[in-house]
Amino acid sequence: MSRKSILLFLFVILVIGLMTYQSKSKHLLPFQFLNNPITKLHDGLSSLKDSLKTPFKRMLLREKENIRLKTEIDKLMIERQNFKEVLLENKRLKELLLLKDKTPNYITIARVIARGPDQWSNTFVLDKGSSAGIKKDMVAITAKGLVGKISEVSNSYSNLLLITDINFFAAVRVQEGRQEGIISGTGLRRCQLKYIPYDEDVKKGDILITSGLDNLFTKGIPVGYVSKVDKTGSGLFQNIEVVPFADNRKIEEVIIISR
Amino acid sequence: MRYLFWVMVIVSTFILQRILSVSGVVPNFTLLLVYYAGLREGSSTGILFGSLIGSIEDSLSGTFLGPYLLSKGMVGYLSSFMSGSFFRWTPLSGAIGVASFTILDSLIVLASRSFFDRIPVSTLSALLIIFIQTLFNTPLGIFITPKNKD
Repeated sequence: MSRKSILLFLFVILVIGLMTYQSKSKHLLPFQFLNNPITKLHDGLSSLKDSLKTPFKRMLLREKENIRLKTEIDKLMIERQNFKEVLLENKRLKELLLLKDKTPNYITIARVIARGPDQWSNTFVLDKGSSAGIKKDMVAITAKGLVGKISEVSNSYSNLLLITDINFFAAVRVQEGRQEGIISGTGLRRCQLKYIPYDEDVKKGDILITSGLDNLFTKGIPVGYVSKVDKTGSGLFQNIEVVPFADNRKIEEVIIISR
Repeated sequence: MRYLFWVMVIVSTFILQRILSVSGVVPNFTLLLVYYAGLREGSSTGILFGSLIGSIEDSLSGTFLGPYLLSKGMVGYLSSFMSGSFFRWTPLSGAIGVASFTILDSLIVLASRSFFDRIPVSTLSALLIIFIQTLFNTPLGIFITPKNKD
């Protein structure tokens, strides 16, 4: 047996003996006094570590708080926006209700749910159809004025041909000068007042109302105002440009009235 | 000066062990000190240094003197064989050696405590502790080289 093996053997025997002795009597802990200084050192290091970590922790917390607050702000902004939207809708509906009371041929109020699928025509799809009493050629108005007429009706939906559509025609009268003409769409935002002879005096800013002579539109519905008068053309009639009162881009609800 | 350096290393290792606990499992860096002593200075120094470290660990653990004393002494003694004629040291054998000694150390402590006192932890917890300690120590075995490496 080598010296090393004897050393190991003695060591193992000694330690096992020591443990056996301790299991029956008092425990021996020769280096227990080290516990205190090591714990103190550990505490010191821990406080140092904490003091180094704390600013970063605070930064992280602030960052988290910042993100949370930003999310909160976004949420509040959306809520505010929704609230504003409800207020505006309320205002519009109030206007429509007032108009409803004043309008004798009232049928229903319809909501614009989409633009017409044909990109070459100016139409709206309304959320109500024949089940709500809507029929073809009925008139759509807002508090501002004429919007168009119903071109197609299904049970739950209807198509509204807008005043700006090239296929739209209505008999109108200049409110001030009482001249009669026909308004038609141009496919753009403006309309055209047709058949006003050169000798008639129509001024920029004159208001047009429906005349009722076409037997399609009730008399007296505001249509728009004259924005441009051109007498330089070679034809028999003046070229008069009209801006409709009801801006198609802002219409959300319309009142449907019968003839 | 040399002794002061080693005292500082030992104290730092004990503190480091407390700081770097993972999921409540304290790493076994003191084993690396004993392994180093055995590997570089031979079995006698290894067993002596191991006994010293083991006694301190036993004292700090507050149970009774013996389990760590025996385990670290054994590791100090056996690690001397890693650089002898029996084994040729390579980084891989170093890592495997440290892993094996970590497992051996933990098993001796566990067995001693279970036999002479009471079972300290459940089998599952013991396996987890041994696994984490081995994970910590194994890579470091690559860097602890014997004196006569070259």
